[in-house]
Amino acid sequence: MIRLEKVTKRYPNGHVAVDQATLTIHRGEFVFLVGPSGAGKSTLARLLYHDEVATTGEVYVDQFRLRRLRRRQVPHLRRQLGVVFQDVKLLNERTVYQNVQFALEVVGASTHDMRQRVPELLDLVGLANRHRSLPAQLSGGEQQRVGIARALANRPKYLIADEPTGNLDPETARGIVQLLAEINRRGATVIMATHAKDIVNQMQRRVVALEGGRIVRDEARGVYGYEA
Amino acid sequence: MRLRTIGYFLRETGRGLTGSGWMSLASVTTVALALFVLAFFSVLSLNINQAAGAINRQVEVRVFFKPTTTHAAEMTFVTQVRHWPGVRRVNYFTKAQALNQLRAQFPHDQALFQLIKQGNPLYDGFDLYSHKAGQIPDLARRLRSTPIVQEALDQNLVIQRLQALTTVMTDAGYVIEIMLALATLFIISNTIRLGVFARRREIQVMKLVGATDWLIRWPFLLEGVVLGLVGAGLADVAVSFGYHWVGVQAAKSLSFFPLAPTATVEHSTELPTLVGGVAMGLVGSLWAVRRFLRA
Repeated sequence: MIRLEKVTKRYPNGHVAVDQATLTIHRGEFVFLVGPSGAGKSTLARLLYHDEVATTGEVYVDQFRLRRLRRRQVPHLRRQLGVVFQDVKLLNERTVYQNVQFALEVVGASTHDMRQRVPELLDLVGLANRHRSLPAQLSGGEQQRVGIARALANRPKYLIADEPTGNLDPETARGIVQLLAEINRRGATVIMATHAKDIVNQMQRRVVALEGGRIVRDEARGVYGYEA
Repeated sequence: MRLRTIGYFLRETGRGLTGSGWMSLASVTTVALALFVLAFFSVLSLNINQAAGAINRQVEVRVFFKPTTTHAAEMTFVTQVRHWPGVRRVNYFTKAQALNQLRAQFPHDQALFQLIKQGNPLYDGFDLYSHKAGQIPDLARRLRSTPIVQEALDQNLVIQRLQALTTVMTDAGYVIEIMLALATLFIISNTIRLGVFARRREIQVMKLVGATDWLIRWPFLLEGVVLGLVGAGLADVAVSFGYHWVGVQAAKSLSFFPLAPTATVEHSTELPTLVGGVAMGLVGSLWAVRRFLRA
């Protein structure tokens, strides 16, 4: 379970990105974080994987209390989470296979595990036949699928996607969200920050809306609610 | 640690070293230079100490008679000196004996033989040994005030001057060494930082998927250690060959100043340079990755 208790994130320049946010996300949920640009969606997502630390309040991810998390515990937290970005962050000199394998290699997975897990993941994201390609040889949607496969490599309980369809055309974006829905159906909790109005409205999942850093709406089967 | 992880470290270290070729070369060169200077001062100090030790083992005061003094007068004076307070032993020598001793000491010195052929330029004299080192200055003063004495050399004074010279040179060496070490650290750190910067996306991904700081840090530390070790190796080779050459030259023209053997020098410089190289490599790379990992 993920829990935020009166979380505020204030940057050194005084800007308050998240303001007194209280939120609970249960295992297996699919949650959209929506809101205008600068509403605090990305900051909230970054607080969850400890890329940012709350100024006040507390963030809980399962047994981890994130404001008190010791440096050496951060890798253990992150192995529970998969993170997907708008700009994907693939390693351009490595193939699709190597990009996914890399996530397993650096947490000390065995060769046997890697040989089993990487093809499984590429199959799941529909790129089994592109495993030898370099990122530059892939379309934007395919690159994002590799990013998702990499995020799933360590079997995370939570998948945090920060604008994963931001650079994609509507058709490709729908394909990515369907993939995330499939991952959610298989048991992972998915938290997706997005501007994709059509997708949010079509999916009819939980919607948490932020404005000026505050949570202004939390609906179990919500809609986007803003002009895209 | 798994074999696979070690393999990963070595592979990544290799990538880092080959990836920043010219900077790696610059790092190795500065490490070598810094350690060569360290070894240079260490060798200099070793040789001065050896020379001081050699003098110390020989005599305490060496006395030369004026050439006009008769043998009988010399022997009378030596007998008197033997009964002076504080004198432990007196060894008289004639100028012929001194010449023979010189021949035995430097059998291959051609320049010396040429000089000797023209006549014996040495003096009769004696070596004096005291009971206590503190009595030597007074004895030397008393000897110098005797009319038949040409010169009384207080060897302790020579040793003290050599030791003072050693101290000055060692201190100067430390100052130069600290400045060079800082420059080396800066260059190693920048070399590693370039590697860190080139692989920043990789490191970002590693952190996000849960790699530990040490897994990220190790290849960069190994890279620093390799740069330090290669630099140290080059410095050792330069010291070894350089000292051998100096030794050969010194044997030809400075045969009265016996240098420490090459093997002794190598033995005394190898460990400090290797340790220094590894330390500079480690500190430089830790310095480079510290700020990046904190971000």
